[in-house]
Amino acid sequence: MIYIIFLIFIGGAVTTYLVGKISSILRDIVFLSTIIVPAVLFFTEINIGQIVNISVAGLQLQWGITYFGYIFALIVTGLGVMAAIYAIPAMKGKKNLNFFYSNFIITIMAMMGILFSRDLISFFIFWEIMTWSSYLMVVYQGNDVQKIGIKYFVFSAVGAYAMLMAIVITYSLTGSMMIDSLVAAFPGFDFTLQLLIPILFLIGFGVKSAMMPLHVWAPGAYSHAPMAYTSVFSGALSKMGIYGMIIVMVSLVAYIPEGHWFREIIAWLGGITAIGGTLWAVMQDDAKKMLAYSSVAQLGYIIVGIGIGTELAMLASLFMAVMHGLFKGTLFMVVGAVEKQTGTTNFTEVTGLIRKMPWTFLAALMSIIALAGIPPLGGFVGKWMLYESLISSNHYMLVIAVFFSSTAAFLYCYKFLFGFFLGQEEKEWEHVKEAPAMMVIPMIIMAIGTFVLGTFPGLILNPIDAGMQELGFVATQGKYWEMSMLFNEWGNVILLQPILYGIMAVFVFFFVFLTIKGFKKTRYVTTKDISSSGEIPLEHENLTYSQNFFQPFYRAVEPVMKRQIDKYYDEFGRGMEAFFDFVRRIYTGNGQTYALYVVIFMVLLLIFKDFIFGL
Amino acid sequence: MKNELFEILQFGIYSASILLILIGLYAVLTKRSLIKIVIGLSIIDAGIHLLLVAIGYINMGTAPIFSPGYEDAAATMVDPVPQALVLTAIVIGFAVTAVALSLVIRLYRHHHTLEIDEIKNLKW
Amino acid sequence: MVGTPVLLIAIPLLAAFLIPLLGMLWKELVRIIPGIVLAYMMILSASLLYYVLENGSIIEVLGGWRPPIGINLVFSPLTGFLTTIMTFLGFIVWLYSYKFKRNVDFEPAKKYFIFLMMLVAGAVGIVLTGDIFNQFVFIEIVGISAYALTAFYTGRNSAEASFKYLLMGSLSASSLLIAIAIVYSQLGTLNMAEIASTVHLMDPTFKVIAMIFFIVGIGIEAEIFPLNGWAPDAYTEAPGPIGAAFAGILVKAGIYAMVRMVFTLFDVPGAFDFLLAIGLITLIIAETAAVKQDRLKRMLAYSSIGQMGLVIVAFGIGTIEGVYAALFLMLNHAIIKPLLFLSGSYLVFNSKDKYISEVNGLGKYLPITSILFALGAFAIVGLPPFAGFWSKLSVLMAAANEGMLLIIALILMVSVVEIVYYFRVVNRIYFFEKSKDVVPHRPSFNALLSMIILGILIIVIGFYPDSVTGILHKAADDLMNTEQYINNVLSVGKSLTN
Repeated sequence: MIYIIFLIFIGGAVTTYLVGKISSILRDIVFLSTIIVPAVLFFTEINIGQIVNISVAGLQLQWGITYFGYIFALIVTGLGVMAAIYAIPAMKGKKNLNFFYSNFIITIMAMMGILFSRDLISFFIFWEIMTWSSYLMVVYQGNDVQKIGIKYFVFSAVGAYAMLMAIVITYSLTGSMMIDSLVAAFPGFDFTLQLLIPILFLIGFGVKSAMMPLHVWAPGAYSHAPMAYTSVFSGALSKMGIYGMIIVMVSLVAYIPEGHWFREIIAWLGGITAIGGTLWAVMQDDAKKMLAYSSVAQLGYIIVGIGIGTELAMLASLFMAVMHGLFKGTLFMVVGAVEKQTGTTNFTEVTGLIRKMPWTFLAALMSIIALAGIPPLGGFVGKWMLYESLISSNHYMLVIAVFFSSTAAFLYCYKFLFGFFLGQEEKEWEHVKEAPAMMVIPMIIMAIGTFVLGTFPGLILNPIDAGMQELGFVATQGKYWEMSMLFNEWGNVILLQPILYGIMAVFVFFFVFLTIKGFKKTRYVTTKDISSSGEIPLEHENLTYSQNFFQPFYRAVEPVMKRQIDKYYDEFGRGMEAFFDFVRRIYTGNGQTYALYVVIFMVLLLIFKDFIFGL
Repeated sequence: MKNELFEILQFGIYSASILLILIGLYAVLTKRSLIKIVIGLSIIDAGIHLLLVAIGYINMGTAPIFSPGYEDAAATMVDPVPQALVLTAIVIGFAVTAVALSLVIRLYRHHHTLEIDEIKNLKW
Repeated sequence: MVGTPVLLIAIPLLAAFLIPLLGMLWKELVRIIPGIVLAYMMILSASLLYYVLENGSIIEVLGGWRPPIGINLVFSPLTGFLTTIMTFLGFIVWLYSYKFKRNVDFEPAKKYFIFLMMLVAGAVGIVLTGDIFNQFVFIEIVGISAYALTAFYTGRNSAEASFKYLLMGSLSASSLLIAIAIVYSQLGTLNMAEIASTVHLMDPTFKVIAMIFFIVGIGIEAEIFPLNGWAPDAYTEAPGPIGAAFAGILVKAGIYAMVRMVFTLFDVPGAFDFLLAIGLITLIIAETAAVKQDRLKRMLAYSSIGQMGLVIVAFGIGTIEGVYAALFLMLNHAIIKPLLFLSGSYLVFNSKDKYISEVNGLGKYLPITSILFALGAFAIVGLPPFAGFWSKLSVLMAAANEGMLLIIALILMVSVVEIVYYFRVVNRIYFFEKSKDVVPHRPSFNALLSMIILGILIIVIGFYPDSVTGILHKAADDLMNTEQYINNVLSVGKSLTN
């Protein structure tokens, strides 16, 4: 059955490309079925622990899904299906669509492959396939490819090759490629290797999950890929890095106790990422870049939890990972919808869309509330558990860092809503209509998902729990209410929810009551029908300001922002290029010089023959 | 021939061949005219051929040819193998020199100069 | 079996000299005969290889003089494998250059195909022969054909490139001849097996000196570091398919000769470390020099030199896994680099200087060529699931087994550099705007067919590497097993006397 899933993916990718040359409707159907059918098969047919063995080139490959991988598979397939449905109307009218769809399928296949890999070679193969297919998507729209695209690929390649080095060292020491044998043999390695291998793996995973200082590719890559793809890119692909990180941090370095400097460094890197990402996000005027930095920040929270390593922290991280997939995916879809309908994603250009795109606004609103961590939606659960785990493990400074970042996140959350939807309606955006239904439906479904998970987090916490048990944590099921004040007796419903719902119900009731009652007597007014101190604004006056939105804030944090890691990387790159230029001057172009090289080489060898050949 | 005389002669020939090689190398490395470089290559070849033949020589040996009446010449002939090698090498050297000279002609037609310093269009 | 190994050398040489005569009868014969001959050679070497993999090496004695006095050919798993690759590539190059550029005219085509046949014959000779002087002769044959082919086009800088090649080639030939002289004077034999079995009797100083002369001599063919000054110029100026032939056929023969010398002929222990060091230096310098190139073929030439450096590093690891990895790398390089040269040749077809900026935007106009170039770029960098990944992986595993962590790190760093310059070109092909004065030239059907065959091979080996690993293991085993080589050859000699 596992074979069939992958065969469907590969066959689907090829077929989509070829069919698309004939008819576009047929291609859309093939594309959707290639994403949906394996997803369905996965959930119905695959059992945890089912294994297939393949032997290739003298290496043993093994594929099977674990409890832990199952959590991430939920994210990948769920988000993948939603994004696929979203992609069809969103990408209408763009060029090279066949290529886009096949590549999309290849990315989803690669991510599933990573989750299915029980041995390091398949892991690496699928990781690389994921890297190059996402690279192709980043350069898909063709602007700024040399700088952004290659920067992304170089970072990914450095990370992947670090991982490859660790894999190869493991193979030479243990003779096997299975992840389990690495975990089993790890305590037996000598100290330098025990330090080197996790660091190499973490570099690889850190690049993909945009941990500082390896995050510099993220803003460019996320904003340049088409939005339909970025929802998967940011929502699911970065989680592959998290998947790897958790395996390294939990299985490999499991015996490192909490409070040890290795864990502390990871946690602090996560904290710095969270702060840095949030601050940068606040400064952005372009929605795509803002969401990109925000993704970096959210991943920072998740990394903090991984670094801390207690059960509650892991629960928090994994829960936040799932939630992030949901709400960030939705947010990117919202941006994509706005881009499709208005042609721009810059806050300073578009505003006041709330009446024109109400469903989009609803999805955005719910996602923003989830991102900000406000109850009753899901983000609150994750954030609360994270805070609780930080406090209970005495990481007070990190609490301050995460709290600061969370609060600053409100700034860009508000800006996102205000910038696009609230604010004054302009004449040039009068014609904007709601996005097509196939784009709105996935967004609304995912927004409802955040709502459901906020109320019944147990739905997700159960699989997470099973996964964590597999990794070696004790069962948290029975300890929920001891772990966290949040849950009720059965551990799956938030304590506060009934109260919140009660209050909300009251408000809603009154609102509906008043609307119905006053329906005949309401009068539709434009945003300009106000008066302040008796003055009524004129037609052309602009009451919305979105330029330099957070000027005072920027002045406050300017000293911190001056140091950009990006600049250091650029300088390094330029230095290397200058060095390369110097190297190639060896080949002077003069034939006699080359002949001279030959003679010098011979003479040197003859003089130093004893030293070189060891006789 | 007496042994000592032979030793001196052997030494002399070896050093002569090495000297030839060095002279040829000097020409290749320092002369700027293409023709002189090609001549240098030929001189190196000559030196090596001399070296090869000298290696095969046995004191008081005869020519390595079988003829009727001299069947037992095999005991005293010089080693024929290096001579065969040298024949082949001479032919090869000649062919390479021919190709080199034709290239020099083409280079001259293209660049109108025979200085190797000037012919540096392909670099880095 | 459809013949014996000697036919692999004799028939192309015969054909090379008959082509002008038969060409006087009918002009098309000049183009057709090489194709028939190369196809025959391909089939012959493949069937011989199959036979040899089952039954052990074939030793063929030439001229009735038994080894170790006479010259013998050795068709073993290793040499047969290399021969098959070379003849296959020769066939692909013929297919591509059937009427390529100047080949549409009779005169140039005649000369082109004569030298192509001699090139393949000579390269196969280098690999198959069991006698060092014979090897020298074949190296010279290959050299002369290469000088001629490099200078094929008039009107650009080909004569300059060819002359530099000739200069260095002559120096290397001289060095090789000195080495042969030293070996003969000490051991009294020219037969490789005999040398291998008596080399331990040689005076150590002379042994090392002879080896140094050998290294300088063969190293120029094999493009190791200080000796490869000719290579970028030659690859750039030679016609596209000839660049492919150099990359796929010529250097492989050179590296074979080098490796045969280090592994079989001489037993100097420090030689492996030397190979390792010189290979690394070649790799690093070549790949870094490739980054700032602005000419497409020159960039590909540096990349080719770098890959050969990697092969030498793999050989230098010295274990059987290292040899296996090196052979796998050679196989993959022999398929991928010609594809890059062949497709790259059409991408810069009409330009004089072959600047990289001229490939801008050709993805639309030359779709198949561009996708094949991109496929080649992905494969050579080592991205799964294409062919290059498995070979890179085996090199790294072989190095890891010996604990050479620094080498692994250096190889991987250089791979990142490779990615940068290849992807810059691929990006240009697809995402930049074509400039007005570039006129794309669609490849002819035969050229397209040859490139597609290579592309399909890359995908097949990538998805199913087991198709070639069996042969590679046997070939690696063959190289490491010196005694078997000696026994095979010398026993034929003994059996013939009885």
